[in-house]
Amino acid sequence: MEVTKAPARRKRDHEKLFIVDTDVHHGSESWSDLYPYLSQVYAERLRDHGGSGPSSQYWHNGGDRGRRADFLDRDDPLESTRRQLLDDCEIDIAILTGSTANGACRMPDVDLGSAICCAFNDYTLEHWVASDTRFRVAMAVNTQDPFGMAKEIDRIGSHPAVIAIIMPGGATKPYGNRVYDPIYEACERNRLAVMIHLSGEGVGINGPPTAAGWPTHYVEGRMMRAPIYMAHMASFIFEGTFEKFPGLRIVNVEAGFAWMPWYLWRMDSDWKALRYQVPWVKKPPSEYVKEHVRVNTQPIDEPENERDLEQIIEWMHGDQTLLFGSDYPHFDFDDPRKTLTRLPDKLRRRIFGENAIETFPKLQPVD
Amino acid sequence: MGRHVICRASELQPGEVKIVEAEKRSIGIFNIHSDFYALRNTCPHKGAPLCRGIITGLVVSDESLQMHMTRDGEILRCPWHGWEFDITTGRSVYNPHRMRVRTYNVAVEQIAEQDPSVETYPVKVEDDYIVLYV
Repeated sequence: MEVTKAPARRKRDHEKLFIVDTDVHHGSESWSDLYPYLSQVYAERLRDHGGSGPSSQYWHNGGDRGRRADFLDRDDPLESTRRQLLDDCEIDIAILTGSTANGACRMPDVDLGSAICCAFNDYTLEHWVASDTRFRVAMAVNTQDPFGMAKEIDRIGSHPAVIAIIMPGGATKPYGNRVYDPIYEACERNRLAVMIHLSGEGVGINGPPTAAGWPTHYVEGRMMRAPIYMAHMASFIFEGTFEKFPGLRIVNVEAGFAWMPWYLWRMDSDWKALRYQVPWVKKPPSEYVKEHVRVNTQPIDEPENERDLEQIIEWMHGDQTLLFGSDYPHFDFDDPRKTLTRLPDKLRRRIFGENAIETFPKLQPVD
Repeated sequence: MGRHVICRASELQPGEVKIVEAEKRSIGIFNIHSDFYALRNTCPHKGAPLCRGIITGLVVSDESLQMHMTRDGEILRCPWHGWEFDITTGRSVYNPHRMRVRTYNVAVEQIAEQDPSVETYPVKVEDDYIVLYV
């Protein structure tokens, strides 16, 4: 990055920023890509009857079918990811967060959903991870099938590139519920973090996407993202999940972060009043968040005065809790060269790389 | 330091609280399992009349995340926002070292008193009284 002469800008050090991108979307081109990894029964079912149904009620998305219009090389998404994202944006580690298997978690047929997750994981390792050492994987899990997925996590969780699981935002019960415990046990056993990415709210077996009912437009749905994570985080904290699984790390992806200070204050305040109802919560909720929960930057929040972001990041302990994510190749992609450029270099290094290294156990250097 | 005779000890039974004014302060006197404690009747959070809150126990969790009531009758829950205080020490439950309510010494003392119902002969009756030191 060039140092400008504008007095408002801070001087930059010229050391290359080490960048971990916590949200890079990948997928299979069609269901047929998964046939080699499915039993004949399920391969034929997908072939004859299609896939997992609607991926969203708000299918129109933004950009060009969700993608940024200049990222439209649909012939070879793997190569365009490597060129446009990893090379051009100098990404050191890119965590693949998928898409193809998201629908599995909201299908009525639990076994088919799990089979699709397992097949997509194999496809990802063979086609994406094998092609570039910079890729890491948040493996797909079917949240409806905790015991089956514990086996799946044990099956591929020791692969060096598998560093997390990914669960969709839409769920039938929030994620601190004990029904999910087998998944978290398996994650601890395999040193995997748990990432949550918006998907499936109000789709398939899931309930309406908001307690206020059904929004009409895609943009309305985008406004409910933070509350989805608030519900999951409150569930993790007040159900005592972090007391049961002290090694668990949660990463909330793609809901921005400027809501975090209010949320931490609100939780701490209500805990003081209602602690006696959840006595296993042994310390202020914000302390659990600092230890166990991370959020990513995407889509970047834009206050009227960009300088105010630094204050918000301080309030949310962002030097520990905030991780960069680009959301490539979606239309609201945040280019790391143009994101949070006003922050001090030390804080940028935390957000773009160091925080992620400390969050994902398998990104940490081996002793 | 002022000495204030409050009432006969028998007038404040276990589990009860009596709120008194002493030296321009509102103070709650508690009988917990026949021991007496006194707390300032002002919550350090927002100034609520703390001693009018709920007298309860300390809910704790065991390792399997099952909850249990302990120290029954020793915890005061503020009537406004529910902050919990240990009546025996004044310390808050959520942050005992940094958030607490003022406590006062309280004692049970034998005091001799003229019995006004007996007119002819001067008679002294010994009884236990609650005495508050502010």
